[in-house]
Amino acid sequence: MKFGQAMKMAFKSISGSKVRSFLTMLGIIIGVASVMTIVSIMMGMTKQSLAYYEKAGSNRLEVYAYLYNGNSVFNDLYDYCLYMGDYVQGVTPAGNLSATVVYGDKNSSSMDNPPQMYLGSDQYSIVNNFQIAHGRDLSKIDVDNYSNVCVMGARAAQNFFDFTDPVGKEVLVNGLPFTVIGVYMEKDPNNDYSMDNIILFPYTAARNLGQIVDMSQVYVKCRDSNSVKQAKAMIEGFLTGICGDPNDYTNQKGYFYTYSDDQWQESMNEQAAMMSLVLGGIAGISLLVGGIGIMNIMLVTVTERTREIGIRRAIGAQRRSIVTQFLIEAGTICGIGGIFGVLLGTILTLIGGKLLLGGMILWPSLGITLGAVLFSVVLGVIFGLYPAIKASGLQPVVALRAE
Amino acid sequence: MLIDIQDVYKIYGEGTEAEVRALDGVTLSIERGEFVAVVGQSGSGKSTLMNILGCLDVPTRGTYLIDGQDVDELTDAQLSHIRNKQIGFIFQSYNLIQGLNAYENVELPLIYQNVPIFRRKDLVMEAMERVGIADRWKHRPSEMSGGQQQRVAIARAIATKPPIIMADEPTGALDSHTGKEVLYFLQELNKEGSTVILITHDNSIAATARRVVRISDGKIIEDREQEVDWL
Repeated sequence: MKFGQAMKMAFKSISGSKVRSFLTMLGIIIGVASVMTIVSIMMGMTKQSLAYYEKAGSNRLEVYAYLYNGNSVFNDLYDYCLYMGDYVQGVTPAGNLSATVVYGDKNSSSMDNPPQMYLGSDQYSIVNNFQIAHGRDLSKIDVDNYSNVCVMGARAAQNFFDFTDPVGKEVLVNGLPFTVIGVYMEKDPNNDYSMDNIILFPYTAARNLGQIVDMSQVYVKCRDSNSVKQAKAMIEGFLTGICGDPNDYTNQKGYFYTYSDDQWQESMNEQAAMMSLVLGGIAGISLLVGGIGIMNIMLVTVTERTREIGIRRAIGAQRRSIVTQFLIEAGTICGIGGIFGVLLGTILTLIGGKLLLGGMILWPSLGITLGAVLFSVVLGVIFGLYPAIKASGLQPVVALRAE
Repeated sequence: MLIDIQDVYKIYGEGTEAEVRALDGVTLSIERGEFVAVVGQSGSGKSTLMNILGCLDVPTRGTYLIDGQDVDELTDAQLSHIRNKQIGFIFQSYNLIQGLNAYENVELPLIYQNVPIFRRKDLVMEAMERVGIADRWKHRPSEMSGGQQQRVAIARAIATKPPIIMADEPTGALDSHTGKEVLYFLQELNKEGSTVILITHDNSIAATARRVVRISDGKIIEDREQEVDWL
């Protein structure tokens, strides 16, 4: 029998037993779609939480250092970090200002979500991953001159100025006029407690407001994760020179410690590894359930199919013709099932991303999709071929008698 | 000699206590153009004999020559070829494929014969018209009566114009009127030159055949010619 004939016969057989074909497809559709959806949504969740920290700024080194005599080490550290230009992109103190900001009838203390007020250096935006939308960023001169200026995050600017341009406007900070010199680009939309709801002041300006700022906490932004390790080692060496050995309790000069996002990332990676184990388990179980469905329907029809094979053999079909027909039949059913499974899985993943992950446009992962389809199709073909291989090897009369 | 079996045995569970000798040393020759009825009680081995004659089963011992070829030496492809081209089967339970309609069932042996599609259509319709079932070509087996299904099965058996027709209790599931029609077809086919082997337990059905081979406990106990009861 020619291959084209085997193909026609397979298609006839599929359309001739629609329920059987449909149930087999259903097993594959459900298996593929559920694995795709579950794994993709969980991957999306992991990705989303990683993206959040990426936006907040990654490859950061947190340094905490002070001298017992009360002098700040920040300026020395700032200069030292400039000298480490290869590894370090920026350095800023991490200070909070507690103040009331007023513009017209807008008052920060009466807002539902009052802005966070930060004291930083001219490199604050580099360290915290902000970009200027318009106006200008803080400069070294603002810092050196104790300028009464501030830069607003997109959300804070919107809260104070609605949609008018804040650049050049004056706001009152504890009654003292400060000029808004720039606005940062929005980087965290759709979030009430947004990272964009901030106002940044040069850390030196705190003195104008009569506040003493704790400058012991410093953020250092490094070029990449490798630079973080280098910078950490160098800064620790440098600070040991200024503050003394932090592990030596007889040290009378000062104290410091450093903490890198790396450490956080390591535990994040561990979590991710755990997650993929759990995911693998869930995917495995889903596929197993789908696979059992496929096996069931295929095995339930073995008797019927064995008789059919007996009839075909009796009227002159060669063993090869029967195996070819069944292979095409199983391959087609499983292939169609796989395609519908991928379609359904993609739709469910998109819906899941929309509903569960805050409107995220989530596409299913290619690897998982391919894996699920491959597994289901191979399983379907094996169990579809099983009666053909078994029954076509029997004497036709034995196959005919199957009950 | 078209069919020639020598000292054929079919033994199930040989050597055990439950040994069953379905065929116990059968020797039988059938010439081209004969109409032979193989008669016996149920369990006598008559169906086993037909299965072996039709290459649906193999004997435990003994030789079977079909058209001078030793069946024992044939490959799967050659045996399939014989079943396809030389023999047309008619079964008691019709053995139609449920998922295919009447036309497709009749077409099946022609497909396995690689008959081109335009020629196939003529042969299928010719066979279906012959048994008066052409107007039902679109019906599935489940949508037809027993008599109609058996006609489809006959059409399938004769579509390839095989020299041998083997019918195993072809009237067993039919009422006497439809049964008679089936037997009439067999006689007609025989008149046109086909060799017909009819398996039955019913002496009145065997009366339609020129030659009667009676079988009991796997042995041939009678082999005679008789006056034919022409339908």
